[in-house]
Amino acid sequence: MASTSISKAEKSYIQAGLLANPPRRADGRSLHDFRVISLETGFAPLSNGSAHLSIGRNPHNGSGGTDIMASVKLEVESIEEDASDGGRIVCNVSCSPSAYPHLTSGALDDLQYDLTTVLHQTLSHPSLHPKNLNIIPRKKSWLLNLDLLVTADAGNIYDALFMAARAALWDTKVPRTRSVEYKSPKSLSSASGDMDVDQDTTSGFDTRKVAHATDFELPDYWDEGEILEGRERWPVAITLNLVKTIHFLDATLQEEASCASRLLVVHSYESPISPTVQSMRMLGSEELSILNLKNLIKEAESYTNTMFSSLTAKLEDEDFRRNQKARERFGKRR
Amino acid sequence: MQSAFDRRRINGPEDSYHPIFANEIRESSSNVHRIRENRKISDIRPIFLQPGLISQANGSAYIETESTKIACSVYGPRQSKNTAYNEKGRLNVEVKFAPYSCELRRSPLRDAEDRSIAVAIQQALLSSVQLEHFPKSTIDIFLVIIEADGIEGCIASGSIAASTALADAGIDMYGLVTSCATAVIGTDLWIDPTQEESNSANGTLILSCMPALGIVTNVWQSGRIAPSEILACIDACNDRCTDIHSVVAQALLDSAPNKI
Repeated sequence: MASTSISKAEKSYIQAGLLANPPRRADGRSLHDFRVISLETGFAPLSNGSAHLSIGRNPHNGSGGTDIMASVKLEVESIEEDASDGGRIVCNVSCSPSAYPHLTSGALDDLQYDLTTVLHQTLSHPSLHPKNLNIIPRKKSWLLNLDLLVTADAGNIYDALFMAARAALWDTKVPRTRSVEYKSPKSLSSASGDMDVDQDTTSGFDTRKVAHATDFELPDYWDEGEILEGRERWPVAITLNLVKTIHFLDATLQEEASCASRLLVVHSYESPISPTVQSMRMLGSEELSILNLKNLIKEAESYTNTMFSSLTAKLEDEDFRRNQKARERFGKRR
Repeated sequence: MQSAFDRRRINGPEDSYHPIFANEIRESSSNVHRIRENRKISDIRPIFLQPGLISQANGSAYIETESTKIACSVYGPRQSKNTAYNEKGRLNVEVKFAPYSCELRRSPLRDAEDRSIAVAIQQALLSSVQLEHFPKSTIDIFLVIIEADGIEGCIASGSIAASTALADAGIDMYGLVTSCATAVIGTDLWIDPTQEESNSANGTLILSCMPALGIVTNVWQSGRIAPSEILACIDACNDRCTDIHSVVAQALLDSAPNKI
């Protein structure tokens, strides 16, 4: 994780504030408070789904904060043999050098690799795979490219990445396709000559011939398509920053530099009452006993629950804003 | 058409396929829930661990568990010339898959999967080495995966080999790190899964800990596991790690006379 360089005195000051009773943080938040999160879906008209998320942006001038732009682009690919039928998901995180001015390009590449690996391993797992990415069975399917761009990092990058990914995937629409079969036309000579009694007449009830779809077309060019299946499944992540006996959420850069380790837990809420853990990573060198680890995993569940329900509410609100509200506004103008 | 041409090497054919032998019956994925032939669900594969095989390095270890073979060498602590002053030592882990280690040939150049395993192993070892004793120094750990049987197996065996190699190099440590992986298949917990088993699993979890101190150094989980199953996985891995610890300690004891 990119961390700002921080002096020992500052580190100990921040830690003392977090361990104090009541705990004190630089911006006055409690240990489990998040900064303001702002989310906008559909900001990229050329993509099949997109989301722009920022955490901790200054409300007055829109500066600062962790800023992520996520977009989904679908492309058609031919299925090679042995590959699974039904589409692929590929995630990629790229970090803009302007977000990490103090990192060399090698270190920036490494950071990109690390973020990409966590996201890709979590989101491309078969348990989250959407079912409507197929075009022609065993021949063609959609390849879903999820690209996330980090334009600014003010701490808590993993939570932001997963939230932006979920929002972009929620917004994704898969174009409707129709299979097309090519048939060679009957040659002219047989049509004009005498009727051949032995010739087979093609009957509509003849089901012996199997339709071989070889290509597909878009029935409606302007239709955005159907919603990507599995919206409820896309997971949310929470990073628990650990300092000695306490843990806190949504760390700023200085707080991340002062805490020795963090635990990242990713939950999926396909069924609202029983979430499943999709991914877990530990980062840092703090000592953690087994009992502590188990307690932290339990706590993480309550945090992701809140995050999931508020994110879903916001996404539904965004859908409403872009569809119904926009139509109403347009209707009023005429 | 542009191919991935590496001018420094003799490139093999662009596409390569592994030979399929007549007596290797490829079972369909629905059949993988067959019973393990030589061990129970809760047993790990037998470990062969030999420290001190690479004489050129400060410390080394070779680990073999059925189909996973990893060679690890440790160089250090040595001066870190190019980095800024740091009062704690740095631990640098590099992992390389040999091109013949997996079913599909791997590129001899570094790729992203090498790095993700290196990050996991570094995380596992970070709390165990007394880095405050080595300011301005780097400890380099190089792992070569000669044969791989699933990522979970590589990370787990790699951490064990690396910890053994660090002990073999005589580097100050708080304790030995051991690792164990678990896969959730249906409702059962299969310990130390092979590649096939983890492919058909709902989710897998790797736990690295220091059994001597009872602390966890790394948790790596992927796939879909219910929270209650996670707690069961952690307990199962923890028990196995304690068993593996005695194997590692014994191997180091046996090789100690060779160092004198």
